[in-house]
Amino acid sequence: MDRIEYIIESLKMLIIVGVITIIGNAVGYDAGIVESIPGILMIIAIGLVSLILAREIPVNFPGIAWAILVATILSLPFSPVQEPFLSAVGEINFLATATPILAYAGLSVAMQYDRLKEISWKIVIVTVIAMLGTFIGSALIAEFVLRAQGII
Amino acid sequence: MTDAQNDTTETDPEAEGADEWDPIRTTGRWEFHLKAHAVVLAIVVVSEYIGTFEYPIGEAAIIILPMLYAVVFGMLISFRFLGAYLTQLQKVAPPEVSRISTPMILISLMPLGVIYGTLVGPAFWEIIQAGPAFVLQEVGNLATIVISLPVALLLGMKREAIGATISVVREPVYGIVTEYYGPKSPEGIGVLGNYLIGTFIGTIFFGILGGVAPLFGLHPLSLSMGCGMGSASMMTACAGSLAAVSPPGLEDQILSFAATSNTLTNFTGLWIVLFVGLPFVNFLYRKLNPVLGRGE
Repeated sequence: MDRIEYIIESLKMLIIVGVITIIGNAVGYDAGIVESIPGILMIIAIGLVSLILAREIPVNFPGIAWAILVATILSLPFSPVQEPFLSAVGEINFLATATPILAYAGLSVAMQYDRLKEISWKIVIVTVIAMLGTFIGSALIAEFVLRAQGII
Repeated sequence: MTDAQNDTTETDPEAEGADEWDPIRTTGRWEFHLKAHAVVLAIVVVSEYIGTFEYPIGEAAIIILPMLYAVVFGMLISFRFLGAYLTQLQKVAPPEVSRISTPMILISLMPLGVIYGTLVGPAFWEIIQAGPAFVLQEVGNLATIVISLPVALLLGMKREAIGATISVVREPVYGIVTEYYGPKSPEGIGVLGNYLIGTFIGTIFFGILGGVAPLFGLHPLSLSMGCGMGSASMMTACAGSLAAVSPPGLEDQILSFAATSNTLTNFTGLWIVLFVGLPFVNFLYRKLNPVLGRGE
């Protein structure tokens, strides 16, 4: 896929995701469709820039990382656009943006179904313990350091 | 009938150079795109309509967010699960729908990323202040090896344990470990298993864990840092549930801390696994296998 086609198709897909997101936002979080439009347009614009940066800048920096970085910079305490940006995007509930991702993820999982046969039940148990351990390990260290710093 | 023909030609992953973005191409493919996005819209509307399920347990709760229904509905509708048995469903969600959905995950992460930016930006000074905790808790992603490796050995696992016990495996770590040991090696199967289990149940697992985590007795902000493991959807499920059971007023800080920890893991996780995790798990394996392992 060449650069121009990538940009055009990505924009189309971002618009589709935007429409799905504001509908979900209205159904689940009592938000108005019209009130959500400025925010979703800003999200689509930043999303497109981020997807282009992810493709063009030759470091291993995925699209979502660029999106977080750009939106973080725009909403810093000393950013001149902080207030209008936050109030527009604030119309959209963060959980409403997660639901479409997981719907696509659920549908796409079928592509990896065949590979599951290689995995034994022992690996399943050990993986679940590893996931739990990762969470608790990080949280314990964070608790210790935050307490030592007097933040909590 | 034409659908079925198109399916067989268009789902061949080896066709035309296998660009991961190819499925989002719309030219001549509007019919498949219409199906894919209409199915997602339907899943989203139903999931949001059902709303968050909450079952309180003392200070904590089992929280089931709409995103968790969405992942389950998506799996069930796809051609490998219920679709494999119901021909009507195959017409609604043919394999091409699942193929389109794979790059669509990356596109649909953009709104979430922007929202996280709007949470991280205003919390800039708080995050800088908590910097030491953010950096040190990254090492916590490896503490899990101390628990999961002995369990793996007691279960009679051999070298598969090397791949399976290394924290929460997402794409970068999966890629590097597979390249290092080879995809057919025991270590490669172990890391594939960890990656796949995470893909299939990770979000559901962390969504429930985030809600019950206050039972561990740690501060919500510490728990929120634990939620960041390198997967945006697992982190969102975890932090979303945690925020729902935490004292009011902490929600934004929980989400911004979780997002920051997650982004940090995205950047450092690969290097920590490569230069600290793998040597450490191999060292521990050599020490523990003669004691706990089940012989050859």
